[in-house]
Amino acid sequence: MGATEEAFITPAIPMDFTYNYRIGLYMTRYLEGFKERKIMGSRCSGCRKIAVPPRKYCGVCNKIMDEFVELPQEGTLENFTVGHVVLEKGRLNPAENPYLLGLVRLDENASLLLARVEGLDPAEARPGMRVKAVWKDQVEGDYGDLDHFAPA
Amino acid sequence: MEGKVAIVGFRMMSAPDLVTSRERLTFELTRGLLDDLGIDRVDVDTTIIDSNDFLDGRTISNVFLDGPAGAYLRDESKVEMDGVNAVIYACMRILSGQYRTAMVVALGLTGSQVSPYLHIEYALSAHYDRQTRLLNELNSAALQARVYLAKYGYSEELLDEIAAQALGNAALDPYQARRISGVGKDEVAASAYYYEPLRELHCYPPTDGGCAMLLASEERARELTDKPVWVLGMGRSIETFYIGERDLAASPSTAQAAERAYAMAGVKNPGAEVDLAEISALFAHQEPLLAEAMGLLEEGKAEEAYRSGDTSVAGKIPLNPSGGALGGHPICASGLIRVAQAVRQLRGEAGENQVGKAEIAVAHGQDGLCAQQNAVLVLGV
Repeated sequence: MGATEEAFITPAIPMDFTYNYRIGLYMTRYLEGFKERKIMGSRCSGCRKIAVPPRKYCGVCNKIMDEFVELPQEGTLENFTVGHVVLEKGRLNPAENPYLLGLVRLDENASLLLARVEGLDPAEARPGMRVKAVWKDQVEGDYGDLDHFAPA
Repeated sequence: MEGKVAIVGFRMMSAPDLVTSRERLTFELTRGLLDDLGIDRVDVDTTIIDSNDFLDGRTISNVFLDGPAGAYLRDESKVEMDGVNAVIYACMRILSGQYRTAMVVALGLTGSQVSPYLHIEYALSAHYDRQTRLLNELNSAALQARVYLAKYGYSEELLDEIAAQALGNAALDPYQARRISGVGKDEVAASAYYYEPLRELHCYPPTDGGCAMLLASEERARELTDKPVWVLGMGRSIETFYIGERDLAASPSTAQAAERAYAMAGVKNPGAEVDLAEISALFAHQEPLLAEAMGLLEEGKAEEAYRSGDTSVAGKIPLNPSGGALGGHPICASGLIRVAQAVRQLRGEAGENQVGKAEIAVAHGQDGLCAQQNAVLVLGV
């Protein structure tokens, strides 16, 4: 090898190991809900706001969010972006086609849920549009079960 | 605050690819600065190294840098956030009375050695966002940009104008990485969309860079330089990670950090008293958004401010006269470079981008998704 002062190397001990994360009771409840096509959130005992996906702790109140609530399947598209690239493992590549990503409000007290929005020309997207959850045909309690949102 | 801390000198460099190693960059910056000041490493009482383990690809990323930084068998510690936090840490150490001088050195080689976007990709929630694979640094910034424009009814053209001003300033700055001349708003508008409304030239470029800075107590500073720049105030604040729970069109954490810094500095009316600001706006829309949070621009008046030239080098409140982070964003060093750029202005050494009256400056740094954590310094001469 013609080594030079400025050559790059990739370490022979690479960073390719696995971390294991416990997902905890709240995320488990969220994914369990998916098996019945339900979207679950957790409500704060202080401010009454709902986090979706559910979470145990409310940052604003520093209190436990101790109530699970089922959210409606329909909501409002509050904000969106049209993606022209895909970002994977730090690399930016052009997208095959422009696609919509939206922030959806399912309940006036609930946090916004980021989701793909389909069945709509990205150029036609407007904040305030009504959208509904679209599930995979087979749901199995996986993150991908709630596939996307579509115009209601 | 009681006691005074000054910035007595700095060295910085950035480029798309510096063709260097972490160690060599650290040595050239810190040894160069010691030589500039005519002192040796034993004159530095404490060294703060600012780098990121994840981006460095090794834990304890300062482990090999004590030698090049001159910190061998000396008091040394580390910061792994934006460089403005490292400056605050250095000030606190000097104000404790235990140290008369503090060296801060920050570096990020995210132009040549690792993708800058991984930094946020691996900061996402492991048991949600990294499973759904929807959220990333660029699309969250785009969501923030869209809701900010919508809040005031601004058109996307404003982003082009902001970026054109920043890139025009950066082209004239010898320390910037992205120096492209002749880029006006039409050229910005012709660059490709990443995520609407953000285009390539609205976003920071992957950058290699670093900065070393020496801070000192008042007495020591007066021995080391004829041009001390005083740290008059400092503040920082953090808000939630969850973008679905944030008002992305505002930055309450920046507002709170600035309020604390202004209170320390005795600045009562920042819009009138601050002469220039170096803001870590990683995306075009963040410059007015963060400037509003710091009381430097009137809310809802960004279009007027940019079109009238108020924010230009010759304007009423020059924002990023260096070109800011659109001219280069080496993670960790980025905010420290904003501080160094403010120092150049306050010393009257900013060359073609020198603003007229430069007595009070603000420098800002950020970390996280959509500027989750913000740190603000008020500097003066």
